[in-house]
Amino acid sequence: MIKEKIVKLEDTWKVYQLGKVELVALKQVNLNIDSGDFVTIMGSSGSGKSTLLNIIGCLDSPTKGKVFLKGKDTSLLSEDQLSQLRGKTIGFVFQEFNLLPNLDALENVMMPMIFQGMSFEQRKKRAHDLLVSVGLGERIYHQPAELSGGERQRIAIARAFANSPELVIADEPTGNLDSKTGKKIMEILTDFHKKEGKTIIVVTHDPNIANYSEKVINIKDGEIVINHKQKGEFLWGK
Amino acid sequence: MGQIDEYFKIALRNLRTRSLRSWLTILGIVIGIFLIISLLSLSEGVKEAINQQMESMGGDIIMIMPGSEESMVGMMVGGEVLEKQDITAIERTKGVESVLTMSYRGIIVRYKEEAKMVLLAGLPWDKSLEILERYQGWNLFEGEWPVSGKREIAVGKQWVIDMFEEKVKVGQEITIKGRKFKIACILNSLGSKSDDSQIYLDIGLYQDLVGEKKGSAKMAMVKIEKGLCPDEVAEDIKENLRKTRKRIAGEDTDDFAVITSEKMIGVTNSILGIIQSAIILFASIAILVGGIGITNTMFTSIRERTREIGIMKAIGAKNSAVLSIFLIEAGIIGFIGGLGGIILGIFCAKIVELYTQANPVFYFSISISPSLIFFGLFFSVLTGCISGLFPARKAARLKPVEALRRYE
Repeated sequence: MIKEKIVKLEDTWKVYQLGKVELVALKQVNLNIDSGDFVTIMGSSGSGKSTLLNIIGCLDSPTKGKVFLKGKDTSLLSEDQLSQLRGKTIGFVFQEFNLLPNLDALENVMMPMIFQGMSFEQRKKRAHDLLVSVGLGERIYHQPAELSGGERQRIAIARAFANSPELVIADEPTGNLDSKTGKKIMEILTDFHKKEGKTIIVVTHDPNIANYSEKVINIKDGEIVINHKQKGEFLWGK
Repeated sequence: MGQIDEYFKIALRNLRTRSLRSWLTILGIVIGIFLIISLLSLSEGVKEAINQQMESMGGDIIMIMPGSEESMVGMMVGGEVLEKQDITAIERTKGVESVLTMSYRGIIVRYKEEAKMVLLAGLPWDKSLEILERYQGWNLFEGEWPVSGKREIAVGKQWVIDMFEEKVKVGQEITIKGRKFKIACILNSLGSKSDDSQIYLDIGLYQDLVGEKKGSAKMAMVKIEKGLCPDEVAEDIKENLRKTRKRIAGEDTDDFAVITSEKMIGVTNSILGIIQSAIILFASIAILVGGIGITNTMFTSIRERTREIGIMKAIGAKNSAVLSIFLIEAGIIGFIGGLGGIILGIFCAKIVELYTQANPVFYFSISISPSLIFFGLFFSVLTGCISGLFPARKAARLKPVEALRRYE
């Protein structure tokens, strides 16, 4: 059976203009990610991995080339259509958690559902269930500032899954956490992947984290260098 | 846009987390609206009081003054007078019940060691006292009415309040142009501070003193017979005056003004209208400054919240959602500012009202109409939204990736 390509990049370039200097962040990248995959993008700092992730997540647009999401050419979409697409199809987990500081855990998780026009009762129930599933059932009324880094990242994961997106993108999700907490976060992500069959793309420079995934993409100086499948036995090995 | 109530909650929360700055911004609007509400309710109150006073004089008073009708100021201070034959012509007009003539001039008077410029008003005392008492509400606060032929004067209530350092009493003397006059009586308040500061004396004494021609007058007030139309009588008076002047002096121009009390109300209303326009203009400037304050606060707030905007856009907020949230924030600032300004304005106007009623120089009540309150609120919300429009658009157009990267 041929899996649907959820993400497809065709000759994608990203060039930043820094004064008179041109900085090439992505060099003619071609990439296919199947629906339901758990993919890790690895690379050192400045390799262009975050740029790649932003382009996949429709937070940024390529300088040249095309990005297809679920077969749709994203360059043809308006800003509002992109917002709608992000809200519905993509969930984000950031290194800095990026929670709204004035809102408590429950409200943070409810936020993406507001923009999809869900009713208050539905939102509240869904957000509550998600927080319970990441183990924060007791802290739903806490503000981010009252919680630890690991707890905050768990709220962010709950938020990323709020609208049941098909794709979840995590940019260094464990980068600001100690290894034990990081492991817990990765377990939650893989759990969602296994139970709900979501496509998950994780960007990291930590090989230990890469071990959780089925597929690793290495990126160096804006180019994809290796694109290989992990062996089965590495999976869930840690 | 179906989630407006949610955006409203988000906006309220955003304002609360920056409460000090929000309140300071609100204060900018409060001041402008406060000015509008307090001054307009006061001036509206004054307008009503003046109209009431005009009506209490009777709706059928006609005033005749020399000078062109076009220039009110010229009429008040000009040197022209109504001649004796003019007055006779007025008296003979059909429908005229009684005529009260009056002359006035600013003059320096001395009381004890102090000298002051006051308005001296000369009236034919024997003829006019009855009219004054009956229709103008004159009555004595202290003393007896001056007797014509004697050098006696009547003074307004203001004289015993704060005109002179040394207390003015009935029976004491003042000096005008080197001649001494006895204060025979003090009148109760006539309604305005200026009326209450005047000296009233017999026209004979007045004309001797200032050298005005006998029998002439600066103005005439006509009380018309009951049931007649003031406008018609005014026309007849005009016609008679025209004929008289033509016969005597060969003049062909209307060098006099015949004004009914209705017209007088119109004139005072138009003057107050100008004052109110000025109030609105100045208060609008204050509100404009308040609006710029809102714009400034919103821009600062967007700089601080760039990352939050990026997060919201990443999790699916459309441009219109971000725009709505920021516009609502600005609108709330405007609304609370307007509400505060209205409350403060009414409070302040009420204090002024209580003060003037305790010291009844000029008795009036403030007038706060629902439309004034509605106008104040509408204006302040509108100011908020307009001031917030630019910053809100800037926020809405931020690119998500740039917004997220900022301040990392």
